[in-house]
Amino acid sequence: MRFLRIDPSDPAPIWSQIERNLRRLVASSALAPGEAVPSVRDLAKDLRVNPATVAKAYQRLADAGILAVRRGDGTYVAEKPPLLARGERDRTLRDGASTYAALAGSIGATQEQAEKEIAAAWRNQERTLAKAPPGKEKKEE
Amino acid sequence: MSSTSANSPAAEVERLTVRYGRTLACDAVSLAVSPGSVYALLGRNGAGKSSLVQCLLGARKPSSGFARLFGTDSWKERARLLSRVGVVPEEPDAPPAMTARQLSDFCRRLYARWDSAAVEARLARFGVAPDVAFGRLSKGQKGQVLLALALASSPDLLVLDDPTLGLDVVARRAFWDELLDDLSDRGTTVFLTTHDLASVEGIATRVGVLKSGRLVVDEEVDALKARFRRIRYGNRITETRTAYGTELDQFDAVGVKVRGWGVEAVVSNWDPEAFERFRGIDGVEDAESSGLSLEEIFIAVAGESPRAEAAKGEAR
Repeated sequence: MRFLRIDPSDPAPIWSQIERNLRRLVASSALAPGEAVPSVRDLAKDLRVNPATVAKAYQRLADAGILAVRRGDGTYVAEKPPLLARGERDRTLRDGASTYAALAGSIGATQEQAEKEIAAAWRNQERTLAKAPPGKEKKEE
Repeated sequence: MSSTSANSPAAEVERLTVRYGRTLACDAVSLAVSPGSVYALLGRNGAGKSSLVQCLLGARKPSSGFARLFGTDSWKERARLLSRVGVVPEEPDAPPAMTARQLSDFCRRLYARWDSAAVEARLARFGVAPDVAFGRLSKGQKGQVLLALALASSPDLLVLDDPTLGLDVVARRAFWDELLDDLSDRGTTVFLTTHDLASVEGIATRVGVLKSGRLVVDEEVDALKARFRRIRYGNRITETRTAYGTELDQFDAVGVKVRGWGVEAVVSNWDPEAFERFRGIDGVEDAESSGLSLEEIFIAVAGESPRAEAAKGEAR
């Protein structure tokens, strides 16, 4: 899965990094409801981590209703995954925005320039997601 | 000694001491490898890793203490126990004239379970010709052949003694990928020693660090990574604060470096709440913290980069 990365210097356990990243992919619709996610084995090999670690993340996501395991078939994003609470999403957005605004200001960029870059980054992200829906990659191979 | 039970650790040493004359290679080391775990034993060259592995495999008698496999004494029951263990030694060793296929045929007679097809499949994935004499293979290929053989008996325990030492990055990767496959398929229990910390970063579930024969770390990887962290801050002398960095003591700093811009320390007892208070101290400026990779933790604990040490090789 192209958009799933783990960071060895992140003190969060690897299973928790995987869980966090998958939550993000689902919340951003990069992984659509009902879409297949890689098998534990494939993801473990991709990320080069112990399969038990991936299994733990999947188990927690299944418990949280974000992933659904179909016996003998595979693991999928749930049809109606619970979304990030509105308040939490707003807060996360605000935190990110203030960091970005501070950065832009410190290098002398105008508000207009900063907003233009945001829009471009947004377009770029949507284009990449459209090109490579991560859950489908495996199937098509 | 009790017979093998499902509750026994797959491998364990208890107060294991190994002496060579006046040299103490292992000093009362105790550790256990629980079923289903991947235990990585780390340490600089000469730290005692190989002595411990040899005792565990019944190839060396401990000076004192015990080494057991599946709850049974390794030294006394070596022959019986080793049929349940797959081993990839540090120096890949097999009769040089035999091909991988002949080795596989030979081993099949020694084990109750033996999957010749799996050996062939693994060799194919590694790109190792099954009909070339072992002595003519590269070091990486020899290691791959031995891994394929080690896995063919579906061992209850896999012991890897620095299996990727001297291999190039492609061969290393192929080796660990194959191990990951087996972990997926069977949940193999693994006891390994390595200098290739980046590769076992996500694979090992528990880590031990030997330093001059003593086990200085024996901990789950998750716990270890939550405990170790790097702290950086600008340090200013004030009227009430004349000593450098004594406030770091509460975090059990294992390495403190004073640099031009301030202080950098690796701490072994991270506490986020205490860190918030630390940031508020007058004279501590712009304190920030960051996580550490397994390799960075190892360097902090064992004293030097394992790569630098591997480069020194046998020179010592």
